[in-house]
Amino acid sequence: MLQTIVYGFTIGAILYLFSIGLSITFGTMHIINFAHGMVYALGVYLFITIIPLLAGSFTLSMAASIVAMIPVAYVVERYVIRRLYGEGLDYSIIATYAVLLIGTDVIKMVWGAVPQPVVDPVGVSISFAEIDLPVYRIVIVLSAFAVFVGLRVFFTKSVIGRVVVAALEDPEGVRCLGLDVNRYFSIVFVLGSSLAVLGGVLYAPISTVEPYMGFHILLVAFAVVIVGGMGNLTGTFIAAMALGMVMAITGRYWSQASHAMVFVVMAIVLVLRPIEET
Amino acid sequence: MKTLADKSTLNSGVTSRSMVPLELAVIAVGFVLVAIFMRVHWTTNFMIFCMLVLSYDLLYGYMGHLSFGHMLYFGAGAYAAGLWLVRINMSCLQAILAGVLCSALIAAVLGCIVVRTRGATFALINMAFNEIGYFVVYSALRDYTHGEDGLSCAGAPVLGMIDPYDEYHAFGFVLVLLLAVFWFMRRLTSSPYGILIRSIKENEKRVSFLGYNTSAFRWLTFVIASSLAGLAGAVFAVVQGFVSPMAISSFGNVEIIFAVLIGGAGNLYGALIGGVIFMVIKNFLPVIIPGAQKLVDFTLPQWELWLGIVLLIIVFALREGVVGFCAAKLSAIRAGRTSEGI
Repeated sequence: MLQTIVYGFTIGAILYLFSIGLSITFGTMHIINFAHGMVYALGVYLFITIIPLLAGSFTLSMAASIVAMIPVAYVVERYVIRRLYGEGLDYSIIATYAVLLIGTDVIKMVWGAVPQPVVDPVGVSISFAEIDLPVYRIVIVLSAFAVFVGLRVFFTKSVIGRVVVAALEDPEGVRCLGLDVNRYFSIVFVLGSSLAVLGGVLYAPISTVEPYMGFHILLVAFAVVIVGGMGNLTGTFIAAMALGMVMAITGRYWSQASHAMVFVVMAIVLVLRPIEET
Repeated sequence: MKTLADKSTLNSGVTSRSMVPLELAVIAVGFVLVAIFMRVHWTTNFMIFCMLVLSYDLLYGYMGHLSFGHMLYFGAGAYAAGLWLVRINMSCLQAILAGVLCSALIAAVLGCIVVRTRGATFALINMAFNEIGYFVVYSALRDYTHGEDGLSCAGAPVLGMIDPYDEYHAFGFVLVLLLAVFWFMRRLTSSPYGILIRSIKENEKRVSFLGYNTSAFRWLTFVIASSLAGLAGAVFAVVQGFVSPMAISSFGNVEIIFAVLIGGAGNLYGALIGGVIFMVIKNFLPVIIPGAQKLVDFTLPQWELWLGIVLLIIVFALREGVVGFCAAKLSAIRAGRTSEGI
């Protein structure tokens, strides 16, 4: 059971790292960003390519792939997302979906459709009360908690973070103060994308790396964002951990049902929630 | 400018009712021409897809509710019809009816949940239900649906004479059903109900201030659109004699959205033309790409990349779709002519 709980926290941690970007983009710009899945998958593929060049150093390659994805994320933000600002939700969904399709095809073209293996960088298990726990999973959970604390500090103490929080509440008001909201949104968008790449790279050794990995995590991440409340950062953290636990516990008894159960939980949450106003 | 355009579309829907027989004839001739220039059984598939696109157009084009889960109802109709043929009897018409009723029932229940949401949440909760449906078909009920192997089903000739596995019979049968769906959609969208759902798209709050229960109308539209999708799915199962989990996979949703957009949302001809264009692209690109690959010396991207690029062009440059674009050009030419006359 302890193993299942650790596994649940691991999945929750990855979901959290991935969902922050989605949640911020929705909260600030009211855009459902399917392109987030593209950034995630492309980041992991870059990581796979970089790791032999840097003599197999996991941490350095991770940092390098995150840095390498920053320009990509910026291009997506500048030329797709920003042009969709203030447009109908449907057009933004379709345009970002198109970016995801293009990204997936580029991955298939460059790296091929065959799943790629990534080696667990720690590879040690600790035994605790006769249960084996891979240290690597604990590292993932701890990094997610670190990111959570870091983001809290960022959004409450730094100027950029506070501007963004204010813009989440009232973008017009912030604009009236003479601040260029778009610039701050760009920064936060790139931050969210980098965290997605971080999550993807951390998840790579314990999952399969394949061109459609972005699609698969997106579906679950949408559930996280909806359950946690769009644009609500603490809610996203709690929802990610809770749904990760749901997946781990369901997966223990009926592995094929773990994805479906997330959506069942999401439907129940939506039923219990008050009806949305127009 | 926007109000003018709206007025013209509202009027055109009402006044053209007497033109419906002519419209149906034009569509029939159009599909016969497509069948002559392409393979007959391809065209049958095109028409089934057009039915699905028409049903989606009611939900998205007319009521403005983007859904990422329409394939659930297509797949439910397909599997219900297939299971009817395998388990109960060989009557194709009863199987199709079973498919429609199954989709309608699922939509009626899930509709109560999804109409509580709007916008992004509506699109995504439908996708969630679609994923659950995929899981049910793929793993939970695999004893009945045979999971990823797919379900083979065979039906007896319809009314004793139309053999669904003869390509010409199937073509005629599907064409008649498509015309029926088109006629139904034409009547529905030009009725007061049709105008009401278009008003919900424009401003739901004002419609509810007029005293209409908008949630009830949204639920009803959702159920009608889903039942029509179920019809398309059931016909698909009967004509193909085979249903695979691809019929319920949520990847199909983007194909529907793409077809609606390429033709122009909220336009019945747009749905038909978009459906045909999309299917032609989908069927021909896998043929063209390997051919072009021999000319250039590197692996060309497969068709998803082209689909993505076309979608981006539509969103950023061609909002009204092919039909809307041509109509705008045509009215510009006409306006030019009348001003010259004056």
